[in-house]
Amino acid sequence: MAMFRRVANLFRLSKVDREIDAELQAHIDLRVEDNLARGMSPAEARRDALVRFGNPTSTRESVAAADATLGLDRIWFDIRYACRQLLKSPGFTITAVLTLALGIGANTAIFSSMDAVVLRPLAVPQLDRVVTVAEKGQREIAGYLQVALADYEDWNRQSRSFEQLAVLTSSDMSLTGSGDASHVRVAHNSANFFTVLRVQPIVGRVFDGSECQPGRDGEAVLNYGFWQRRFASDPGVLGRKLELDQRQYTVIGVLPKSMQYPSEAEVYLPFAPTPQQLADRSAHDYLVIGRLRDGITLKQTQAEMRTIADRLAQAYPVTNLGWSIKIEPLLDGINGDLTPLYYRLIMGATLFVLLVVCANVANLQFARGIQRRPEIAMRTALGASRMQIVRQLLTENILLALVGAAGGLGLGAVYLHFTLISMPDRVARYMAGWSNISLNFRVVAFSVVIALAAGVISGFAPALEALRVNLADQLKAGSRSVTGSGRSRRLRSIFAVAQISLAVALVIGAALMAKGMWGMLHLADVYEPNKTLTFSVTLPVARYDTARKQAAWYAASLEKLRALPGVKQAEITTALPYSDRGWMQDCDLENRPVMPGKFQTALRLPVSEGYFSAMHIPLAAGRIFSKSDSIDSQLVAVVSSKFVAQYFPDQNPLGHRVRMGHDAQGPWLTIVGVVGEANYSFWDPTQHPVVYMYAAQMPPPGAMFAVVTDGDALSLAAPARKALATIDPALPLDAVLTYQQMLHDDLLGLIYAAVMLGVDALIALLLAAIGIFGVMANLVGEQTREIGVRLAMGARREDVLGLILRRASWLTAAGLGCGLLLAFALAHMVANLLRGVRPDDPVVFTGITALIAIIALASSWIPARRASRVDPMLALRSE
Amino acid sequence: MAKNDLQGTLDLLVLKTLAHNGALHGYGIVLHIQDASGELLRVEEGSLYPALHRMEQSGWIASEWALTETNRRAKYYKLTAQGRRQLQQAEESFDQLVKGVRAVLRYA
Repeated sequence: MAMFRRVANLFRLSKVDREIDAELQAHIDLRVEDNLARGMSPAEARRDALVRFGNPTSTRESVAAADATLGLDRIWFDIRYACRQLLKSPGFTITAVLTLALGIGANTAIFSSMDAVVLRPLAVPQLDRVVTVAEKGQREIAGYLQVALADYEDWNRQSRSFEQLAVLTSSDMSLTGSGDASHVRVAHNSANFFTVLRVQPIVGRVFDGSECQPGRDGEAVLNYGFWQRRFASDPGVLGRKLELDQRQYTVIGVLPKSMQYPSEAEVYLPFAPTPQQLADRSAHDYLVIGRLRDGITLKQTQAEMRTIADRLAQAYPVTNLGWSIKIEPLLDGINGDLTPLYYRLIMGATLFVLLVVCANVANLQFARGIQRRPEIAMRTALGASRMQIVRQLLTENILLALVGAAGGLGLGAVYLHFTLISMPDRVARYMAGWSNISLNFRVVAFSVVIALAAGVISGFAPALEALRVNLADQLKAGSRSVTGSGRSRRLRSIFAVAQISLAVALVIGAALMAKGMWGMLHLADVYEPNKTLTFSVTLPVARYDTARKQAAWYAASLEKLRALPGVKQAEITTALPYSDRGWMQDCDLENRPVMPGKFQTALRLPVSEGYFSAMHIPLAAGRIFSKSDSIDSQLVAVVSSKFVAQYFPDQNPLGHRVRMGHDAQGPWLTIVGVVGEANYSFWDPTQHPVVYMYAAQMPPPGAMFAVVTDGDALSLAAPARKALATIDPALPLDAVLTYQQMLHDDLLGLIYAAVMLGVDALIALLLAAIGIFGVMANLVGEQTREIGVRLAMGARREDVLGLILRRASWLTAAGLGCGLLLAFALAHMVANLLRGVRPDDPVVFTGITALIAIIALASSWIPARRASRVDPMLALRSE
Repeated sequence: MAKNDLQGTLDLLVLKTLAHNGALHGYGIVLHIQDASGELLRVEEGSLYPALHRMEQSGWIASEWALTETNRRAKYYKLTAQGRRQLQQAEESFDQLVKGVRAVLRYA
């Protein structure tokens, strides 16, 4: 240490050293002052002071050493001692390190993906200062593209809270030029979009402002993933051409991997609004983000924007009355509600597991503490203070936990590898931050912190217990008895009970989640989703500019598909059941004005004529669409029973007319039929009214195809592609998947959460079983003599067995009791996440309770049997 | 059993001095011990300062930089609550030691 200090001093005088010097110098100066006051000459006064002080260098060294002994040196000594002690009992050390590695590893892995996806999905400097600014009508509309451009322009001029505001809008564009035509997600953004996010391109440059005018906007910035897929990460991509919707764009830059916003955007084009667009106050089609000025709070901004909204409402009452402005941190909008919720649930559960691990290690330490009593007694007798002993034992635990953390990082890496490869690319692409998941510095720091916490938590009770040694008893020559005190046994029992209750809560939570997930996965089974091929098509407006052209393409495509061998049915719709892609629209009923302030809505679904039979939706009244309905005949609609129940209670809806959307010029559709229900959302359990329209009459600009086959749906993908290319080769097919895969992808977050919760529950259950085994085994070991006496006095072996099992039952019952209370709380959380989960599901609760009781009793069976086989003679003689 | 040694005696002297005088700098402690012992005891600076720092690390005393009467910056030490308890123990311990040593001397 002194050596190190000297070396260090060559370079700098540390603050501590400077302080010591100043203190000693002050001492000398004070004496000089006194000497002068006593009448010595200045030279004499100084000489006397120095002589009396002695050698200042050696004094300084010893002072510095005094500062250090209780600091680093002491810790280093504790660590070395701890290492020796741990190496002396390898069995204990290995068990403890492995359990800790398991607990810390699980936490590390979950944290690393939560950190990347939820906490820091974008590597944007000061992300918390970036907000989305949305306009909110009287009703909340999902999604964020809600700002009218003229309003944005006014905000830009009037607001003072933002460094800058930027605007963007997204669209799908067809990428042509080489290979199959495909769709890319394009963000059209103002140049300062990149300034607001403070993003630096890794190749080339981003927009500088000159592009954002009509006519000069032929430049494109690529996201990292698109650059990788399309250009094989070629650094020479600058200047290459990209043909989007038959227009040429020049690549000018590539964004870093950590910058993926909006999460689905692959190409960024300059947003060049026309003067008409800039003056529009009714098309709420734009997303606005802004960076708050330093020192301005979200609240202040919200207040400022409220006054601006009021001012605009007064100036433009027709378009702006009733619209307010809503400001949210950008982070809130990136992941939606479910993902952070899942992550919080899993992270919480995994921290629970760490607690179970801590309880387990503490239990091991208790057992070891009994054997270590002579050692502790000896150290106390030799003068170690209580503080020193506690510190020593805690050091041991922290050391264990840190080694565990190293192992945990390894486990975490393995886990991450499996998560990353098991996530299909088509889903991962849309998860912000997913590609950033790694074991980075923050993750390592996190695991070190939880390791320290685990070390202290698991070490504290055993360390305090170790202090309660009776010196005289322990040091008596020849005393080798190692019985635990009643107190220590009680503490160990408490830990075992805690383990069981945490395990009960986790297993019940996981079981409920799994049950809910299983139910949701099989909701759509009636549709035989593995036999149905799905894909979607968007007809480019430029070439399919009339309903007639669109209808003609749909008719031709369905005819081609139906002609393919193996195809039973081919239909189109805009949303399949449970696809969550439905479009809720306002609707008007003819001659039935809506009361002001009330809204009539329905799902708008253009479908082909065979859709109802393909999706097993029964006809309740009237008729369904037929080929005789055409673009030139009367426009017809089929409504769902729920629609009738809601808007035509106890009346016959047939013959009435309905109009979808706000548009007063929109066509009236005559209701010709009523069909049964189908559910269009996994997450929203409300049955919404549906208005089906005939795709041949009112063709949608894009549609989802459902091709029902008699076998392997995916094998039809290639023939279907080929067949459709014969009609229009420049038309890309998106998301060619089986219906099953599509549903599965939608539920991936849920499946991931359920699997993780299951893993957590399994670990907790295993540890709880080990825990109760440990407690019972120890109890039997300690009471061998007592059992021997009982047997010698005539107790039957069954009595002994019963004695031990009774004790185990008490522990188990107490654990189950506490655990069930915890489980109810967790069950309520899970039930809020999933539909169809009852927080008091009797089957799960009784089943899991019984299961855990059996496991707990089974793991105490081995110690109990050992107890019943004690040989009384041996047991008594060994004392 | 009295637990004591020479270092323990120095600690005791310093603690007692601080208990008596409130806050003092090192030089003040030296002077006080010298005066109070009637010039019998003289504390070596070479052992005083390491002892002060050690006691500070143990939490018995706390330090603070302040100005002396002559406007010089010096480090002042004062007793903590823990130090007060330590002082009491050390005093008892020292009494035992003295009693014990005296008893032995008388016996011999």
